[in-house]
Amino acid sequence: MLWVFQAVTLLGFAFAAAALIWRWRATAQLPLVRDRATPRGSVARGTLYAFTWGMAPWAKESTRRHALSYVRGIGFHLVIFLDLGLVILSPWWPAWSGPVRDVLALVSGLGALLGIAGILMRRLEPNLRALSTFDDLLAVGLVTLFQAAWALALAWPWVLSAAYLVATVMLVYVPLGKIRHCIYFFFSRRFFGTFIGRRGAMHSTGSAGFASREASQ
Amino acid sequence: MSALASTALEVLEQQLTQPLVASLEVCARCGICAESCHYFLADPSLENVPAARGEALRRVYRAEKDWLSRILPGWTGAEKLTEEGLARLAEMAFTRCTLCRRCTFNCPMGVDTPLLMRTVRAMATASGAAPEILVMLADAAIEKGKNPEFFRDVFLSQMADLEGVLQEKVGDPGARITVERPGAKVLYVGLSGTHTILPPAILFHRAKEDWTLSIFEAANYGVFLSDTSRAKQIAARIIEEAKRLQVEEVVLAECGHAYAALRWDAPNWFGESFPFRVTSLVEKTDEYLAAGRLQLNPQANPDTVTYHDSCNMARNGGVIEEPRRILRAAAAKFVEMTPNRTEAYCCGGGGGLVAQPDYNELRLQGGKPKADQIRRTRAQVVVAACENCRLQLGDLNDHYGLGVRLSAVADLVVNALEPPLAQPLS
Repeated sequence: MLWVFQAVTLLGFAFAAAALIWRWRATAQLPLVRDRATPRGSVARGTLYAFTWGMAPWAKESTRRHALSYVRGIGFHLVIFLDLGLVILSPWWPAWSGPVRDVLALVSGLGALLGIAGILMRRLEPNLRALSTFDDLLAVGLVTLFQAAWALALAWPWVLSAAYLVATVMLVYVPLGKIRHCIYFFFSRRFFGTFIGRRGAMHSTGSAGFASREASQ
Repeated sequence: MSALASTALEVLEQQLTQPLVASLEVCARCGICAESCHYFLADPSLENVPAARGEALRRVYRAEKDWLSRILPGWTGAEKLTEEGLARLAEMAFTRCTLCRRCTFNCPMGVDTPLLMRTVRAMATASGAAPEILVMLADAAIEKGKNPEFFRDVFLSQMADLEGVLQEKVGDPGARITVERPGAKVLYVGLSGTHTILPPAILFHRAKEDWTLSIFEAANYGVFLSDTSRAKQIAARIIEEAKRLQVEEVVLAECGHAYAALRWDAPNWFGESFPFRVTSLVEKTDEYLAAGRLQLNPQANPDTVTYHDSCNMARNGGVIEEPRRILRAAAAKFVEMTPNRTEAYCCGGGGGLVAQPDYNELRLQGGKPKADQIRRTRAQVVVAACENCRLQLGDLNDHYGLGVRLSAVADLVVNALEPPLAQPLS
């Protein structure tokens, strides 16, 4: 009977992937003005920075100021990708040893806790509450439920059918609501990297440790 | 739907490029950008959170473009654009965002909220909802470009007088201020007022530069309106002038938005790479110092000096270390504000706000983080390489009782020239 749930989840994956690819292509077909201004710096360096060092918690004032919240978000997102991998590999779970599954269950459970923390932050901080739409709450709620369901499924295999269903619902919602920001992240960071690289306006010496430069002479 | 809202939506549709759609779609509404905005630091309310400003346009975008939002608008907070909504959007974009891009640099996603605000400005300008004063200033510059002969004689006469002043200051009766001289290497484009012409003229004379003066001003109010048509017409005056004179380089006065417009935006507006270099006077001065064409005595400026990074020069233009090298050479004691460089706070006067007297109170309130920064440095002199910044900093100086003196980079350099001028600049 489990194969039915697996097949449904597979369809969910296919729908999410197809819709995201469609969105990606539709966005990539929109105009992109060729920058003809003579560059001051390196686009490649800026782009690399935007996707690597520039994402570090210490790279930006905002993430230094909200380090806990930022790390929570990073952890939450990393566990989503881990759990998606677990869904794909789930038919082979029986071959995995107990301790491996226990660790994965703990990590998934931690992801769900980070998701709950995110929901609480959205409800408790007044500006964040006002900023949040129903879509925001549903998106983080669905993903949190997904992480919790797969944490439980790793520990108790009889939950697996329900976990497949939760995964399917989440996957179907991915391209429809806010979760689709996952593909726009790559566009947005690329454009940011291109901008700072081309204009030679990298964070470079201007970010971490700025206090030490208050008096230079 | 009203005709105005319909016009605004047409503009939105035209502006849907990859970067704009990415910034409209990618925001996770995490709110981490809040403290990156100087308005929020001065008044931590929702309307001053950059994500909330972006969200105002996103609601309209979703109502038009998102399938789920069209069926269930309440689900995503989608909102159809109305005339009243457009007026609210316009006021926000023209008065509560100085386009400083500090939020973009602080966003984990890289959301370009200033791009969203520029889009709103373009929508408002096209539908007649932009501030009249900005429209008037842009149109006046365009008219001037169409009929330069109307003011040429007056300008030449003023420059002849200024040439006399230059000769007295540098102690050289052969010092010249030529206007639109064909074949000169450098075309310098000043701003309104001789205070942006005399100090550069002294520097060019001392560096033995082959230069001439533009009859136009570098300011471009079309940029503040996000009206590419107007901005192009204003920029075209200088571009055509530079091409006609066959100069190798256009050096712009210390003006942030003029630099951003001509250095970074104009090649894209016109779809061409210009046959001349575009630099700021700050970059040029730095080059002169590096080449040993200017000698400076830092003891001539004994007061403690700090530097305000203009957003258009630094974060949006990459001119970050040049002014610092100059000030270290020109002043006995240079101290940094904290934070600085790409993390510097906007002074609160950018985006054309300094030209909108109706919003003076808001502008001064938004400038409080900068005023606090300045106070913490205990500097006596604040240098800024942007005319609008200096106007705003001057107002902050009065309003918050900072007790500092404001200076352009060039003024400080002229004061430190070695050997000194025959007559001091002021």
